[in-house]
Amino acid sequence: MTGPAPPSHRWIRLIEPACTSCMICARECPSWCISIDSHTEPISDLPPTARERTRNVLDRFAIDWSLCMYCGICVEECPYDALEWVGDLTQPESSRELLVQEMVQPPSDAK
Amino acid sequence: MLYAALVRDRPHYGGSVRWVDWYGDGSLYVVDVALACCALEFDAASPAAAVPPPTLDDQAQVAVIISGTVTDRLAPAVAAIVDGCEQQAGRRPAVISFGACASSGGPYWDSYAVTKGIDQLLSVDAYVPGCPPPPEALSAVLDQIAGRVAS
Amino acid sequence: MTEVLPEDWLAEVESLKADGFDYFDWLGCVDEIGRRDCLRVVLVVRNVGHEAEPRTLSCSLPRDDPRIDTVSDVFAGAAWHEREVAELFGVEFVGGDHRRLLLNPEFEGTPLRKDQVLAARAGMNWPGAKEPGETEASPGHRRLVPPGVPDPVVWGDRDASQPLADPAEVAESAVGGRVRRRGT
Repeated sequence: MTGPAPPSHRWIRLIEPACTSCMICARECPSWCISIDSHTEPISDLPPTARERTRNVLDRFAIDWSLCMYCGICVEECPYDALEWVGDLTQPESSRELLVQEMVQPPSDAK
Repeated sequence: MLYAALVRDRPHYGGSVRWVDWYGDGSLYVVDVALACCALEFDAASPAAAVPPPTLDDQAQVAVIISGTVTDRLAPAVAAIVDGCEQQAGRRPAVISFGACASSGGPYWDSYAVTKGIDQLLSVDAYVPGCPPPPEALSAVLDQIAGRVAS
Repeated sequence: MTEVLPEDWLAEVESLKADGFDYFDWLGCVDEIGRRDCLRVVLVVRNVGHEAEPRTLSCSLPRDDPRIDTVSDVFAGAAWHEREVAELFGVEFVGGDHRRLLLNPEFEGTPLRKDQVLAARAGMNWPGAKEPGETEASPGHRRLVPPGVPDPVVWGDRDASQPLADPAEVAESAVGGRVRRRGT
């Protein structure tokens, strides 16, 4: 990796493919500002003799920026490096509801 | 109640706080209610010294910044200051909740002594996230309020 | 640290001041529930310029009726420290200033006692209560409880047919200890 690290403690980004819905960030957050919804789905492409097993599918990952204190515990604790600091600033909003940032793209209607 | 006593005993609350002529041209005056750490970021962002209240011309805008944790004990005083500024200026100021504590109680939302956001007492025009927000976040939101950038 | 009986508290402080420890540093309190059933009031004074070490006095008071003499006539600066301890721990400083210092006049409770639960935490849905793969925290199976909230076995949403938890059990549970209820 070349170049300086991005400024930290400004904004946090979710790397959605890396997240396993393990809940560790939501549990460790001192401000309780991370909300996660997930469900389980069976894994396809198993060998015929294997029993069914499931994986977690992330449905919702939201951070309430009005509560976040930018401590970075979530970034440090994530075992899958699914959270990272980014250099932009979290934007101000005209209401508290708008400060809750949904970070998971809703699934497209086409199945 | 404490609020009524404050307003009764100190009708010139708006006159006792200090105002910053943000752009140096009398178009926007900013009052900081300096409660906690976020006030230091206000000081870093502030382009000029704060002075006793000026005479405002008709086009001038006023913004009151709530910087820091609002405790239950002090919340009525904060509301009284904003009301005092409105009386002093003759117009309703824009109220900016600066930082997590002023917006929601922030990391102290669960405290027995903290008001969970100044919007429990006042209507807020802009919530600036951060703990604390950097000085450029305050400059940017004031630029928006003053209409100096395309928002 | 010198342990002092409540009846000797004022005399000890006066004697230390007469010995040159005339700089009042601080007065505070510790709730020792779980170890000893008492509130421990601690006072620190210094002899500035002559002694490197401060002198620390400690007085253990019963949790259900904690009363101790004020030392604000000896050290005027102790008044604010005593008012803070009085409102946050419920200690009465006899002869002292009984006004609230930091809390609203209507505030009820003694928030710094360890069996006083942070109601906001207990009342709010903890985002971490869900297990991986859940959208609703499922009732029934043993759920994680966040720091600061006692185990429901002990406080809050508990079985009403069980006897009330004693303060030590609530305090232990709120700091993350698993409380094993005795006898039931």
